[in-house]
Amino acid sequence: MTTVTDKNQHTQEPDYDIDTLTNEKLLSDHEYDGIRELDNDMPPWLKWLFALSIVFAVVYMVRFWAFRANDLYQHKEFEKEMAAVKIKSKSAETFEIILLQDAVSLTSGKETWLKICAVCHLADGGGLVGPNMTDDYWIHGNTIDDVFNVITNGVIEQGMLAYKDQLSEKQRLDVASYILAELHGSSPANPKEPQGELIE
Amino acid sequence: MELQRFAYDNRLSRMFLNATMFWGFVGMLVGLTIALELVFPLMSSGIPWLSFGRLRPLHTNAVVFAFVGNGMFTGIYYSTPRLLKTPMYSQTLGKIHFWGWQLIIAAAVFTLPLGFTVGKEYAELEWPIDIAIAIVWIIFGINLIMTMVKRRVKHIYVAIWFYIATFVTVAVLHIVNSINIPVSLFKSYPVYAGIQDALVQWWYGHNAVAFFLTTPYLGLMYYFVPKAANRPIYSYKLSIIHFWALIFLYIWAGPHHLLYSALPDWAQALGVAFSIMLIGPSWGGMLNGLLTLRGAWDKVRESPVLKMFVVGITAYGMATFEGPLLSLKSVNAISHFTDWTIAHVHIGALGWNGMITFGMLYWLLPRLFNTRLYSKKLANTHFWLATSGMLFFAIPLYFAAFTQSLMWKEFTEAGYLRYPNFIETVVQILPMYYLRALGGALYLTGVILLIYNLVMTARSGSFVRFEEDEAPALRTGKISGEKGHRIIESKPVLFTILALIAISIGGLVEFVPMFMVKSNVPTIAAVQPYTPLELHGRDIYVREGCYLCHSQMVRPFRSEVERYGDYSKAGEVVYDHPFQFGSKRTGPDLARAGVQSGPMYKPASWHYNHFLSPQKMVAQSIMPPYPWLIKNDLDISTTNRKIKAMQYLGVPYPEGFADKANAHLQQQAYEIAQNLRDNGIQIEDTKEVIALIAYIHRLGRDIHGGEKVHFSER
Repeated sequence: MTTVTDKNQHTQEPDYDIDTLTNEKLLSDHEYDGIRELDNDMPPWLKWLFALSIVFAVVYMVRFWAFRANDLYQHKEFEKEMAAVKIKSKSAETFEIILLQDAVSLTSGKETWLKICAVCHLADGGGLVGPNMTDDYWIHGNTIDDVFNVITNGVIEQGMLAYKDQLSEKQRLDVASYILAELHGSSPANPKEPQGELIE
Repeated sequence: MELQRFAYDNRLSRMFLNATMFWGFVGMLVGLTIALELVFPLMSSGIPWLSFGRLRPLHTNAVVFAFVGNGMFTGIYYSTPRLLKTPMYSQTLGKIHFWGWQLIIAAAVFTLPLGFTVGKEYAELEWPIDIAIAIVWIIFGINLIMTMVKRRVKHIYVAIWFYIATFVTVAVLHIVNSINIPVSLFKSYPVYAGIQDALVQWWYGHNAVAFFLTTPYLGLMYYFVPKAANRPIYSYKLSIIHFWALIFLYIWAGPHHLLYSALPDWAQALGVAFSIMLIGPSWGGMLNGLLTLRGAWDKVRESPVLKMFVVGITAYGMATFEGPLLSLKSVNAISHFTDWTIAHVHIGALGWNGMITFGMLYWLLPRLFNTRLYSKKLANTHFWLATSGMLFFAIPLYFAAFTQSLMWKEFTEAGYLRYPNFIETVVQILPMYYLRALGGALYLTGVILLIYNLVMTARSGSFVRFEEDEAPALRTGKISGEKGHRIIESKPVLFTILALIAISIGGLVEFVPMFMVKSNVPTIAAVQPYTPLELHGRDIYVREGCYLCHSQMVRPFRSEVERYGDYSKAGEVVYDHPFQFGSKRTGPDLARAGVQSGPMYKPASWHYNHFLSPQKMVAQSIMPPYPWLIKNDLDISTTNRKIKAMQYLGVPYPEGFADKANAHLQQQAYEIAQNLRDNGIQIEDTKEVIALIAYIHRLGRDIHGGEKVHFSER
């Protein structure tokens, strides 16, 4: 940093300093513990960015307060989202509740079992918080209708949840079939003591 | 003009510098511990004070208030006297500030792991410590302002503007957010409830980031970057614009932490609009830092100090671009409650605060000890460890966040959630959690190198306590021809008042309608106060830091309504002192955990077994076990005072109920314990877990036609 002094010219000397590395004007009387400040403007693109963000904010608020734009009110957004869903409704074709024996259904049943049911009944069906599914004792019956019904509607006072909103009818039938066809009669590692009535 | 001679006392800077290194190490070690706990959930081995929920507040408090706090004070006590050409106003006040601050941190180190917490993020410390913070902070402020009054330099430099804004705003934020009603020495309830508490808390939380982690560090940047590079500040005009715009706009943006929550739409809209306007002012700071280095880039290659400053300032620019981006509702719908937030704040903490602190320490310590840095090579190694540590931390978490968020939202063609079981989405991102811990370990290794390097540097020199300087006395009176901003720069007290006004407007505009206009919190007739047992259970929920991993805020999206149940309403949480919305879902949302017909309900016996061993109920769970809840008896000696405190806060328990509360509590505890015993679990009525189960079973029940609570005789 040097003070500009051009001795060959008799024009007035500038009363400010120039930063030699950038050739920019330093502010006079701006020195703090040796720190100087340049007299530069804000970079123009930053000015534009700031201006644009203010425009965005103003438009946003006007859309909110004056135009009541649907996408800025969350209950309206939610209604719109749910309305779009109703078109592809959950209820697929109705079908008969019968014990399925085919490999595809039983594999799908097992998948659901491990994902959801195993949390309370253990992966091998031996029972934990929920009852043992492998023995011949049943609290709510042992037919495919009974088991399907328990899965669908739950037995909430005993802690069994209803899965009608989380699993499709097919998935519920698959897992009910898996319980009766595969788990029942198997021998788990740590079977829970029998609960309910003996139904052979 | 006659020159006056005086000396700067370096002792306070040195004390704060030592504290910065020490607490930096501690805070990051706790951070690494909890990062490992997420992948090794049994690590806490059933020890309460080692569990994630108790250590996470310690990590955030230690890093923010201890590491960055002490770092800020190191720089302020060094730069302020030099910029004002006078020693600090009072060395005694400075010492009180130092020891008071360290005692507060020490108190945090003991009380947080013991579970003494208000339950509001970054404001967890209990009321006696809150009072100490306010007193110590004001002592710091008095010292700062009085030093300005005693100055020899007519105008105050931009670094000091930022120090002033820091002081006034943090004082306002801390005091307003910490108004709590004590029920015992280490237990209090916030005066605000539910959605109002949430608005105050995130006004505080957001602006703690702005005025504790950002403005003081911009001040440090304005001093240490030009000093280290020996270059003039790029633009004084930019300083003025970005300073005032930043402090005025920042304060409005708090509601962006509550997008798609039960917060009224108008407040959310303000949060979005003001967050977007923050990009310019924030980048103004980044540019004034980076462009100051023009002409010195050859030095940047050579100097670890400048390299750290460059990465720090760049991280600041990235984080302040990302912040407004995350405030757009469409982005927030994906990012909120995921690890994106964690990645974002660590770009700020590891990049901006960490790197600026390290650069400052490497520059400052050799000067305090009149020597050269012990090893430039080690400092360069530290630079690379810190930079790669930050990337290893953040990039995997971005990936994890996208993955998990998309999994939460995915539906099958038949219209069911593709991943109805939350744990599937956790297992999917676990590898990213390992990488994050690796990133943290790299970063911490760098800090160990820093400490070694600085200790060796100090040993090679001798401490220079006093540094002499000289300057003419302060010119009094007006300077002719002075205009605009230059005038208020010569009036520091006026400057302080103007800054206070600038930072008050946004908060007032948001709070006044929220507290005065009833329609902002539509009441729901079915919502009743918690029973005494549930209230105790809620206090346990807060004590264990459950809110740090489980939200209680179902957002109005199909995917959330399917997974959890009906979306949350403001009227549901009117008796929640404090609110417990949470900000991260490491586990599932619990706002509907008490709705018997909903997908989140689990029987009492499930909860009992799950607290005892989460892995027994969900094999891949990353939740730690809570065996002490089953061992410990519930302390019912405070029931009476708790009910009275709630009544004082306007919770409508019947008159005189406080005296009957324990009888009510014991009856309800008996019913739950009996249910457990019926399911083959041997347990007494008196255990803590009973209260926690009671609370969880209450969540969401009122608005789903649950049985009415009777507070009279049963």
